[in-house]
Amino acid sequence: MSGMRKKEFMMNLIGRGPSRWMAAVSVTAAFLVGCDKSSDTAPSSGMAKTVTVALMPKSKGNAYFISCRKGAEEAAKETGVKMLWEGPTEPDPAKQNEIVETWITRGVDVIAVAAENRAGISTALRKARGRGIKVVTWDSDAEPDARDFLVNQATPEGIGQTLVEEAAKAMNGKGEFAIITASLTAANMNEWQKQIEIVRAARFPELKMVALRPCDDLKDKAFNEATALLNAHANLKLIMAICSPAVPGASEAVKQSGRQDVRVVGLGLPNDNKRYVKEGVTPSVILWNTMDLGYLTVHVCAALAHGKLKAGDVTYSGGRLGNLEIKGDQILLGKPFVFTKDNIDQFDF
Amino acid sequence: MAAPDFFKPRQLLALGTATAPVLVAAMGVTMIILCRQIDISIGSQFALCSVFIGLAAQKGGGPLELVALAMGVGGVMGAVNGVLVAGVGLPSIVVTLATMATWRESLRWWREGEFVRNLPETFQWFGASQMTGQWLVITAGIMVLGCMVMITQFTAGGRFMYAVGSDPEAARLAGIRPMWVTFSVFVSAGALTGLAAVLNAVRFTDVDPKTGTGLEMQAIAAAVVGGVSVAGGRGRVLGVFAGVLLLACVGPGLVFLNLPAQWERAIQGGIILLAVASDGLGGGRPRRLREQHEEKKRR
Repeated sequence: MSGMRKKEFMMNLIGRGPSRWMAAVSVTAAFLVGCDKSSDTAPSSGMAKTVTVALMPKSKGNAYFISCRKGAEEAAKETGVKMLWEGPTEPDPAKQNEIVETWITRGVDVIAVAAENRAGISTALRKARGRGIKVVTWDSDAEPDARDFLVNQATPEGIGQTLVEEAAKAMNGKGEFAIITASLTAANMNEWQKQIEIVRAARFPELKMVALRPCDDLKDKAFNEATALLNAHANLKLIMAICSPAVPGASEAVKQSGRQDVRVVGLGLPNDNKRYVKEGVTPSVILWNTMDLGYLTVHVCAALAHGKLKAGDVTYSGGRLGNLEIKGDQILLGKPFVFTKDNIDQFDF
Repeated sequence: MAAPDFFKPRQLLALGTATAPVLVAAMGVTMIILCRQIDISIGSQFALCSVFIGLAAQKGGGPLELVALAMGVGGVMGAVNGVLVAGVGLPSIVVTLATMATWRESLRWWREGEFVRNLPETFQWFGASQMTGQWLVITAGIMVLGCMVMITQFTAGGRFMYAVGSDPEAARLAGIRPMWVTFSVFVSAGALTGLAAVLNAVRFTDVDPKTGTGLEMQAIAAAVVGGVSVAGGRGRVLGVFAGVLLLACVGPGLVFLNLPAQWERAIQGGIILLAVASDGLGGGRPRRLREQHEEKKRR
């Protein structure tokens, strides 16, 4: 399995398509969790019991989550908690439930889950809460009553704001741009467009949106759309691609057109866009920092276990991430992360 | 026209390059519809072939090998449809609905949306320059079109297709074996879809495994707009060519006229409705049905 291919979770968020539930079942995951049980529950004489934080990705082999894990381990070391990392080999909601059950039996202190299936995982998580285990969701949420907090990696406001800021930077603050979206009906995309327009009107009135085209979430169609846009709008300076396949699609179109005066920014995956970012066609690709997401999740888990984080708090002191906003029961990771040619090679998903 | 830029060479070349793969795929579907069958699995076949092409290119496959591989893989998938439709006698809409979902889902399970990346430099445009590559793709499309015109109008195979599509029973009595004709047509359509996948894939530097989604509808729509009767046995390949071009112009046309994208599907739908309606009003299908009916009475 090439590590990079398991990334369906994000595609939900950035619009490449529905999550795949058809996954090969791994029977080893929960078993292994059960096996090393004896080794780490040895009583620690006298000292306060070490807090155990159990962290679950949607799938273990996924490069996106492997990258989250790096940050998670950093936070575990920093906060002195024992971190378990277990998840299905392939995205599999049933497997996630099994692992949660194992953790309940084992009596971990905090469970943090990136939910593959919102409703599916919630029953098991409620059960865990009933046993006094703190529950956090990260990357993608379960039902709100099934967890204490959600570590939210991106808000529509943050995405819209960063997209427009990066666009303005690439366009020197003025000129025409066009948006390529997945479909005209996608709820998240429409929400982002609304935010984009709010930020544009308030802060960058000299940017002018001249067209909005759907690409049906297909790279090849995004290419065709971008080509038509380039040929139709002689003054176009930027294409903003707000679904992940559209970023490489539009970038390839700009590259083939030979138009040096047009740039692409968008919401996408580092690996899809590395070549265009390095060539300068696409100065910035926007997503969130996966390592920070893992870091914050474990940091939050530790704080919950130590009683430093309670319902009703409005700010959270997230270690090296500084003070973060808490909105209701969601801890916000903050502004999205911008991949540029200087940092994109550190990411492999 | 209100947008003269649309007719600049650069845009026409881009449009032609983007449309050639659709044209090739539509040729296959046209044959199938002429035989009074339907194939809605070609989009999925297209995607699977594209991924195979990408993986083969990573392993260093040359252009001819890629074409052979894609047409082979497409042909095999077409043969699956062919066996189930012509051999087992299942309705083609159901069979190809099933294979459409099967190929697409297995691809999803296999690739999980991951692009095939890092293709060798020589992959894009068959290793030629961009301009040459674009013309190569267009030329290949036109050549397939030419072959199809020849086949449908001047060969026995073409006449067999029309005969089977008009009346399989009469064709059988005339010594044609409808089963084999139908089977071969499905295989050929699969192979053409594979070729279309190559022509599309070489335009890019990586393969999106979701590619080809909705291609079947583009192809069928082009055939219908081009005057091919869904009842089989009637229609011209050159008409389909016109249909492909007409539908392909709608999207870019809206971009150039600065009209909202919401109109695209509506206009395409309108064109299809118009085509079907004019077919009906023009005395195509109803008249034929009436004739068949009267023929039966006479017996």
